[in-house]
Amino acid sequence: MRPTQEPFEFHATLSALDQGLDVLHHSVELLRRATGRPSGDRSLILFETALGEIGANVLTHGHPEGAQLPIEYQLHLDRGTVLASFVDPGPAVHDHLARPMPEPESENGRGLALARSLLDELGYQRDGEVNRWRLVKRL
Amino acid sequence: MIAPTGRLDVVGAPALKEAISELVKHGLPRVVIDMEGVSFVDSTGLGSVISALKQIKGSQGELRLAAPNQQVRVVLELTTLDRVFPYYATVEEALTGF
Repeated sequence: MRPTQEPFEFHATLSALDQGLDVLHHSVELLRRATGRPSGDRSLILFETALGEIGANVLTHGHPEGAQLPIEYQLHLDRGTVLASFVDPGPAVHDHLARPMPEPESENGRGLALARSLLDELGYQRDGEVNRWRLVKRL
Repeated sequence: MIAPTGRLDVVGAPALKEAISELVKHGLPRVVIDMEGVSFVDSTGLGSVISALKQIKGSQGELRLAAPNQQVRVVLELTTLDRVFPYYATVEEALTGF
């Protein structure tokens, strides 16, 4: 029987790309340990892949030079559903959320389409001066 | 053969692109990327592998991927890039008949 240390909570403030990605992957490793899932658990692999895509996007565009606020990241697991959220002070994200998966030979433009396909819900909302991202996956 | 390590993501991808460019520049158009040391790949990392494929094909060469972990295999399958990059379970298999 798996250990069930739910609800699981993780929170961090992020700004630098490389360190921020380290934190995101570390948080999934903590979640994996808390739930007792094996390293090859497919649901967690899919979730971590989507988190890496959105996280890279947020860390690249969501903290422009001179931004006063850091990026807020939260990871939460309750009753078998994992929820990750980002709040970033970057510019509004407009049209690329609905972008379809590009052709196989394309070198870019795959990230958001891939994340959307891996999650049960990918939410985005512009809220005043910040972007709010919501990633939901049933494990 | 090239053997990147760690995460092949927005941070790690440029180094792979550079390494492939160097190989192509030196006229080595048959390349195996040993993925055993790659813990995680994202869409930017995939883009660097696609870029490598284009460079190598442009030099009449061939690219093979060897020993991807489960996360890399899942991403290749979900993006249908496994049709572009048939991967090999081990480096030895990738080198057979190469």
